[in-house]
Amino acid sequence: MQDRPADAKINADLLRSVVKVGRGWYATVIISALVFASAIGAFGYQLYSGIGVWGINRPVMWALGITNFVFWIGISHAGTLISAILRVTGAEWRRPVTRCAEAITVFALMIGAMFPIIHLGRPLLFYWLVPYPNERGLWPNFRSPLTWDFFAINTYLTGSIIYLYLPLIPDLALIRDKSRGLRRRIYGALSLGWRGTELQWARLEKAVQIMAVVIIPVAVSVHTIVSWDFAMAIRPMWHSTIFGPYFVAGAIFSGIAALILAMAVIRRALHLEDYLRPIHFNYLGLLLLTMSLIWFYFTFAEYLTTWYGNEPAEMAVFNSKVSGAYSPMFWTMVACCFFIPFPILAIKKLRTIKGTVIASAAVVVGMWIERFLIIVPTLAHPRLSFNWGTYRPTWVEILLTTGPFAYFVLLYAIFVKLFPIVAVWEYKEGFAVSKRTDSASAGEPAAAPAD
Amino acid sequence: MAEKVLAIFNTADEARAAVARLQSEGVPRAAITVMSAEPIHIEGDKSGAESRSRIGLFAVAGAILGGASGYLLTALTSRSINLVTGGMPIFTPWAFGIIIYELTALGAIIFAVGRMIYEARLARPGSLADYDEAVADGSVVLSVACEDETSAARIEAILGNHIRPA
Repeated sequence: MQDRPADAKINADLLRSVVKVGRGWYATVIISALVFASAIGAFGYQLYSGIGVWGINRPVMWALGITNFVFWIGISHAGTLISAILRVTGAEWRRPVTRCAEAITVFALMIGAMFPIIHLGRPLLFYWLVPYPNERGLWPNFRSPLTWDFFAINTYLTGSIIYLYLPLIPDLALIRDKSRGLRRRIYGALSLGWRGTELQWARLEKAVQIMAVVIIPVAVSVHTIVSWDFAMAIRPMWHSTIFGPYFVAGAIFSGIAALILAMAVIRRALHLEDYLRPIHFNYLGLLLLTMSLIWFYFTFAEYLTTWYGNEPAEMAVFNSKVSGAYSPMFWTMVACCFFIPFPILAIKKLRTIKGTVIASAAVVVGMWIERFLIIVPTLAHPRLSFNWGTYRPTWVEILLTTGPFAYFVLLYAIFVKLFPIVAVWEYKEGFAVSKRTDSASAGEPAAAPAD
Repeated sequence: MAEKVLAIFNTADEARAAVARLQSEGVPRAAITVMSAEPIHIEGDKSGAESRSRIGLFAVAGAILGGASGYLLTALTSRSINLVTGGMPIFTPWAFGIIIYELTALGAIIFAVGRMIYEARLARPGSLADYDEAVADGSVVLSVACEDETSAARIEAILGNHIRPA
């Protein structure tokens, strides 16, 4: 059994970024802020000029904005859902991974939820859409899947913020105890007077347990409801009964890929090699492999059913994807989501940190393309062919697509400066749990398994 | 007047031994509070830690309240606005059920967290009065409530050189 490192070393390693950051951190913040600022500029131009500066037009009225919405909501499934599943199933290797993942959820949801507002013709009046009895003569249509989105995303965001915050409280108290002055007061307020008594630990564990159980069905419902934005419409290749599980599987797939990428960057940038170990990438790689197979199965089932039905309106969309104007994107998607990651992740020798990162990068690209291909080809080929159209994004949409990636990096960089990205107490607890449960056998401690 | 005696131990095992020693000397387990940087397991009553938590019950209550709010929001709004539904029912369980479902979950989450903060005695002023920052360095701190100065002196004698200097 590996010896437990001294508490002082664990604290120093895991709080390093909170105490002091290097030039790399400042460079990351400045560059990502600049890229994000360009998106803000583009959004300002859109506000000034109107939504006409986008490439959307009849019949393609949803394009990059909604693609990004679906993509980022999918990425949000990296964290809370995966973390909750790992907690509920008692997967001990989760300990250094959970907070990385939970932070992704919160930031990705914040970004995803922005897009429907950006997409509005008059975004400043977004609150008109808030569904409650009002005096504006508006009808809150509770039958609309877009209204369901409002409730689902807000519930998931609220739950995810709480789910991130609860296990953070003991670590906030740790930073409080190690700080002085204003910083101490701020962390003192955030840690709610945490002392680490047996009562507090017992209640925290109970609350996290309940949250984990409640948040799983909420997370599943969120992407199911996002899928219903499409599936409830009688549109070719949208009106499908498997869209719910297909979207959820895709969301978990892209979420795990995003988590692996984030972990790899954090591991290198914050020198957390002793904490985010190859075994964690191996386990997540196996999960990604499973999701890759499930994604392929769903995609094949969806396309086979369409092809076999041979219904003209459906086939127009099908052909545009498989052999028409969108075929380069389609086959890139298939390569990125299956043919590239599958062999890398299936062959044990290739399932290294580098291998899982390459596979994950491919999956993230592939899943973004998949979201685009679900939306645009269907809208470009309505049932009546006289109305068919095309879509080409403008620079405004491209900046509004790239900017949020930079915003995500910026938020994540700020997060690691303010909070430990690996849960300090959970990591320490892993050794004690391992000692208790494995006392009869000579295994490695769960929190820091052998490579 | 009740006072607290604080003792600092380097390891959980030392703290466990001290708790056992205190209990064998007649100090009730409920008078001993153990503070640590990670969950540790010490036998005994754990000063209320093992008392029945109502977080789950509150989660259920929150779920019921959230679901009821969802029902009222959708049903009352639709009826008060008198939505045009083309002959379809103004209240539709299929569609409205999704909103009710989400608000049910939201209610459960908020009530569970609120109850947890209450039960864990968080966010209360002066909660750090009998606390020592040695916890942050991995030490285990015992806080023993004493009835009077005599019992405090007795407990200090039991805990020996682990007592935190005043």
